[in-house]
Amino acid sequence: MAKMSRRTFLSRVTTTMVGGIGALMGIPTVAYLVSPAKARGGLGVDAIPLGPAAKVPVGEPTLFKAAIERKTGWVTQTEELAFYIFTEDGRNFTAMSNVCTHLGCRVRWVDGDEQFFCPCHAAVFNKNGTVASGPPPRALDQYEISVEDEQLFIVGKVEA
Amino acid sequence: MMEKIGLWFEERMGWRPIWTALALRNIPKVNWFYTLGSATLLVMINQILTGILLTIYYVPSPQDAYSSVSFITNEITAGWLIRGLHHWGASAMVVLAGLHMIRVVVHGAYKFPREVTWFTGLGLLAVTMAFGFTGYLLPWDQKAYWATTVGTRMLEVVPVIGPWLLRFARGGEELSAVTLTRFYGMHIWVLPAALLLLVGIHMFLVVRIGISAPPKAAESESEEPDVEVEA
Repeated sequence: MAKMSRRTFLSRVTTTMVGGIGALMGIPTVAYLVSPAKARGGLGVDAIPLGPAAKVPVGEPTLFKAAIERKTGWVTQTEELAFYIFTEDGRNFTAMSNVCTHLGCRVRWVDGDEQFFCPCHAAVFNKNGTVASGPPPRALDQYEISVEDEQLFIVGKVEA
Repeated sequence: MMEKIGLWFEERMGWRPIWTALALRNIPKVNWFYTLGSATLLVMINQILTGILLTIYYVPSPQDAYSSVSFITNEITAGWLIRGLHHWGASAMVVLAGLHMIRVVVHGAYKFPREVTWFTGLGLLAVTMAFGFTGYLLPWDQKAYWATTVGTRMLEVVPVIGPWLLRFARGGEELSAVTLTRFYGMHIWVLPAALLLLVGIHMFLVVRIGISAPPKAAESESEEPDVEVEA
């Protein structure tokens, strides 16, 4: 190895130290910034009570609203959730999200047409939540539902 | 490779003379005490970077301030580190600025032609203290609240305009949401602007005039003085 001048040596040591400090600061900085992105949306609660199962008419998706307390960051606030509950036989229920799978607007059930319509980009979903037309990439999200003592509870998300 | 890239930019930007003037300038033979200014500058950069990061989550309102700070400290990854660096950096900056100042005084480096550098340095010390005072309130805990109560109360003893100064500092008779937001505004906008302006002048002068050499104990006739003075 050729003899290194004092200047070259010091300049390399300085560069290395600056790089080291940069990495030492840079890695925690990235971790700090991406930290909240780790939080994946679960239900946030064990079960969301919706009310009596008898209120769901057979063959027609019906909107149920529920308020849950959700903590985001350091703020706990009441969040209103809505589910379309559907039953063919009065015993087995499916729960669909009213959030359009395209870009998150709220879909609405229209009795006459027997379909869900999204007001934002003309998406149309069928009675069972599958896409009838428009831009959505997949059917409406579904929730796990349980019936206890004739009462409906949302107990979790159905993972696609 | 790096050299080629550097050359490509050099041809288009001509930054090399500026780099030479800033980083490769000649300085007198000095000692380690001369690094105190650079150390203060480094801590200042730390304060700017960590301070910017803290604003990502901090909310300056009585309802949110304390909880957002505790959220940063306990729940955000490396939040304790970023806040800790800002917290301890604040003290370090005051200490380093003080030591830097002592070095300048002891060496008589504030004398001609460096008076303006000294004045801006005094300004920087004041700005640094103001940073410390306004930043201390922001966590909005008991210590912050009462320290600011006491600190602002001192303004009241100023003759004639004292009571007005107190209300001006607090944004009212008592500490409130108004106090918190004005301290926050000062801390993240007004003081940083003043700091950067003063640091800019301070650094420009350091480069433009050059730094002073350490004074010698006994001036012998044979040695050349740093500044020619005709008797």
